[in-house]
Amino acid sequence: MKKQNVRMQQPAMDRRTFLTALGFGGVGLSALIAAAGNLLYLKPAVDYGPPSVIRAGRPEEYKEGIKEVLEDQRVVVVRDKKGFAAISITCTHLGCTVRTSDAGFECPCHGSQYDNDGFVTGGPAPRPLDWYQVSVAPNGELEIDKSVTVAPGTYFKA
Amino acid sequence: METPTQPADGGSGTPTVIASEAKQSRAVLFGRNVYRSLFRYGKLPVDAEGQSYAVFNNLFLHIHPVKVSRHSLRFSYTLGLGVIATALFLVLTFTGIWLMFYYFPSATEAYGRMLDLRSAVDFGFVLRNVHKWGAELMVLVVILHMARVFFTGAYKPPREFNWLIGIALLLLTLGLSFTGYLLPWDQLAFWAITVGTSIAGYAPLLGPPLRKFLLGGDVVGQEALVRFYVLHVVILPGLLSIFLAVHFWRIRKDGGLSHPNDNDPPLNGGSR
Repeated sequence: MKKQNVRMQQPAMDRRTFLTALGFGGVGLSALIAAAGNLLYLKPAVDYGPPSVIRAGRPEEYKEGIKEVLEDQRVVVVRDKKGFAAISITCTHLGCTVRTSDAGFECPCHGSQYDNDGFVTGGPAPRPLDWYQVSVAPNGELEIDKSVTVAPGTYFKA
Repeated sequence: METPTQPADGGSGTPTVIASEAKQSRAVLFGRNVYRSLFRYGKLPVDAEGQSYAVFNNLFLHIHPVKVSRHSLRFSYTLGLGVIATALFLVLTFTGIWLMFYYFPSATEAYGRMLDLRSAVDFGFVLRNVHKWGAELMVLVVILHMARVFFTGAYKPPREFNWLIGIALLLLTLGLSFTGYLLPWDQLAFWAITVGTSIAGYAPLLGPPLRKFLLGGDVVGQEALVRFYVLHVVILPGLLSIFLAVHFWRIRKDGGLSHPNDNDPPLNGGSR
């Protein structure tokens, strides 16, 4: 059955194997590209969420020593001697909303505790509460950019 | 005594009677053909070969092997958990499709639609509650089914691949449970999914992109609701149906439910 041509070297791969590999390889590669395209399609390209830059009223509306919770924006505006700060009230553990307590903040979901500057004092939270960048908008209102975090203890002087 | 098939006048029937009889017999023949085309096996089978043939040629019965070991027919062996899980999936599919007539995956509409289903729509509260409690029960039954398979050693060769299919079915069941939990769009749903997707975000490397993929953004909002809805009503049930078909097929191909070798002595010492 096996006819060997003595004058020819036996090829490393015969034609049938090569064409089969080419065919399956092509189909496999196409499938991979199609899968990657579908995944890219599902990756959120446009952010339809709430805007990250919010206005929080005029600076003089805040008395010194106040902690004003803006529940819908999930941020607390703090004013003390050093100036203004906007601290996130989204727990860094699993995203619940923290509430103010005598010591600072506490999370009702799993008991994380934070001090007044948002540093963790107890519970499962892995890192301090985020501090957002505060500035003054052209119309004189406080502007909080929730997409920009600043180091804890960074106050804005209005 | 006359048999009912004989003409009443003793055999000397007029041509009209014969014509009507022929007409009737054509109709009977047609009806019989229709019946035969639907149910290939006419009479109820009485012998073993006929019974095997009847099971083999029926789409709904051929889910069973042609021969079932009498060991696996003992109710206390399986407790019927797999069948119960399948039945619950069917119930959830039908109640779910019915709920889709009124539910709307919109951040402003969804909660109100859910309340309407509970209070205004006729039998809406029945469908919603059957769907809800059936879903809770299905998670429980699937886990119990898995425990049964483990304790009876039914995961062992040649059934080890079907155990893996079963794992996929468990994960799909949990996925359906999780995605369905957001749809009422109440406080419980919102915070459960906030916490749940945050947990997913802790997974190394794949966690943050997975969270973003599920939510369609950074927070639980309209995008998350639509994504969970599509996953819940189309993608996950579709995948589950495919895996379910493979699961059943493998049961047959692996020789039916796990059972002692038929040559082994009976476990209870009694007669076979």
